[in-house]
Amino acid sequence: MTSDLRNRLLMLLVLPLMALALVGIWLDYRSADEAAERHDLRLLRLLPALADSVLAPPIHDSEPPLLLLAPPVEDFLRQNAGYAAYSVRDTSGHLLLGDAWVHGAVPTTQAPEFHSVEYGGVTYRVAVQRGRTGAGELVVALADGSDPRQQWAQQLLLRVLLPNLVLVAAAGLAIHWAVRRAFKPLVDLAHAVERRSPRDLSPIDEAASPAEVRPLVHSLNRLFALVNAQAEGQRRFVADAAHQLRTPLAGLQAQVEAWAMMARASVPASLTLNLDKNKPLAQEGRAPGAIILGVDQIEKLRDATRRTSQLAHQLLALSRADARSLDAQPSQRVDLKDLCETLLETFLDAATGKGLDLGLDVQPVHVTGHGWLLRELLSNLVDNAIKYTPAAGVVTIRCGVRRNAMGPPRVFLQVEDDGPGVPEDERGRVMQRFYRVPGTVGEGTGLGLAIADEIARVHHALLTLGPGAQGRGLVVTVVFPPEPPAVGA
Amino acid sequence: MRLLLVEDDLMVASGIKLGLTDAGYAVDWVGSGERAEEVLRTESFDAAIIDIGLPAMDGLELTRRLRRPGMASPSMPVLILTARDALHDRVQGLDLGADDYMVKPFELPELLARLRALLRRSQAATTAVLSFGPLELDTAGRRASIRSDDADQVIDLGPREWTVLEYLLIHAPKPASKEKLLQALTGWDKEITPNAVEVYVSRLRGKLEPHGVALRSIRGFGYRLELQPQ
Repeated sequence: MTSDLRNRLLMLLVLPLMALALVGIWLDYRSADEAAERHDLRLLRLLPALADSVLAPPIHDSEPPLLLLAPPVEDFLRQNAGYAAYSVRDTSGHLLLGDAWVHGAVPTTQAPEFHSVEYGGVTYRVAVQRGRTGAGELVVALADGSDPRQQWAQQLLLRVLLPNLVLVAAAGLAIHWAVRRAFKPLVDLAHAVERRSPRDLSPIDEAASPAEVRPLVHSLNRLFALVNAQAEGQRRFVADAAHQLRTPLAGLQAQVEAWAMMARASVPASLTLNLDKNKPLAQEGRAPGAIILGVDQIEKLRDATRRTSQLAHQLLALSRADARSLDAQPSQRVDLKDLCETLLETFLDAATGKGLDLGLDVQPVHVTGHGWLLRELLSNLVDNAIKYTPAAGVVTIRCGVRRNAMGPPRVFLQVEDDGPGVPEDERGRVMQRFYRVPGTVGEGTGLGLAIADEIARVHHALLTLGPGAQGRGLVVTVVFPPEPPAVGA
Repeated sequence: MRLLLVEDDLMVASGIKLGLTDAGYAVDWVGSGERAEEVLRTESFDAAIIDIGLPAMDGLELTRRLRRPGMASPSMPVLILTARDALHDRVQGLDLGADDYMVKPFELPELLARLRALLRRSQAATTAVLSFGPLELDTAGRRASIRSDDADQVIDLGPREWTVLEYLLIHAPKPASKEKLLQALTGWDKEITPNAVEVYVSRLRGKLEPHGVALRSIRGFGYRLELQPQ
């Protein structure tokens, strides 16, 4: 936007400047031309004087004619020493007196003629005239190297072109600087808008913007507010829907869980192995209209109910993790070691049941954030690790401080498993809501990582996926931003 | 074990009641806070499960009231159920005298596990005998024994081994961290090293594992009492 304008301004200003420069050159040339005419006239006036200076023919044929330079000619030669010369020839062009290079074709008439002669790197104006002298009819010539026209051509670059070029360049720089300066508020505004993520639609400070762009900022803020309101409405709808779903789901789950427990308890442990699991357990004494389900069917029903409950819970968590709904809640100091330990306790039975080695590798570290959200984040990561790691696998929950050569130390939270991992080209996509890696076994909702990522984002932390220590499995790391130094500490 | 269930949602209540009854508890179910208050004045329970979202008097108010003198026994554990998951409810509930909370919907096995842990803790506070599978710890008589069909077998424990086992038993089936075990031991020794915990745990293993009680190491954390499948 600005470069376009800058170019236009440059064009608009540089073209007139160039035209002015050309006019300047032309005027300069005109004045040089006039001066040159004056020089020609002087040469013309001096020619008869030179002719008169030849007083008498030579006494011997081999000698030059007798010459006594007239005072005006002598003055001219003295004043322009080095840039002036003369010659006297006979009508056949044979040099009698003066410098050999001062020549021209022998004129056929008595009218004076002008020639340009190059000698010693200087272009001379040479006036030649055939006329009567004291030694009969001779050709006299005067050369003047101080011709302004010649000098003008030589000095054109230095005197005319260079100042104009400097002027144009200076104007270009000035325009560049001025445009940049004048448009800085606009560019700043553009950057500020560009840097925003769809999650950050807080209004731009109108008072801090310059008066010229204030209407634009105002309209942008109005748009932000509209988009915000719409997103907020949608978020609230999801939260309300998920919340409303949970009450009937709680009832359903409580019932099905109880049936599953009773069904499992009614099958003696020794029998489970060779029992046809889909065979009804008790055939006698059932009420009219009753159907009989096998243990496996009830457990399938229970698992489906658990998944539905989890989905409702995750949807609620996701809508709550939204940055806009968190403004009202104050952040607290969260003990990550304690959090890791709590989650180890929570998931220990699930991991043991699957034959996994769930362990910790923790250092006492704290971050500032929302405790229940961080718990949700870690819980989703551990849940995923347990879900996708096959039996006899190892799952480790870590927290600590990562010290880099550059930058301040960063607190991190990490879950590592040695399961199938996530292929590199899938890593970006698994963060998307409801996306699951094709061919994934196990029952997930496809929301776990999306929630974890959202919560990390709310905490200005970065969630990354990578391969495990031996290139196997998955390591999910959440690196928190450096803590601002505590006040008074 | 007699439990009081205060829940107004019929589906949830009947599911929980079914599950708890199946697990061997006697369950009294009331649908309102007012009714629960009445029942608690006259009857005594080993634990109460209270839903926060009750009509009229809510679960938090009920929890506050039943902690008044003359209501329930102060050692009766209270587990609150909530459909809300905000931290606020939890803190408020625990401040008012609840011992644990669960967010609805929940898995029944987890409710049972939490209930068992609560009952074990209240039991430890009121009775002298702690038990875990065949293992019994008589805290008053400082006597550890393995129950069996024919005759109880006394297990000889040193004072530090006793401290470690008692701590693990009180917290079972939750795992106990090495740090906490170390803290429990510093009452005996000022200059105790983390290695000491490992020493006592390994001694306890030698004494308990032949009887089917295992002290499982939890990597990077600590230990947990578990029953070995026989």
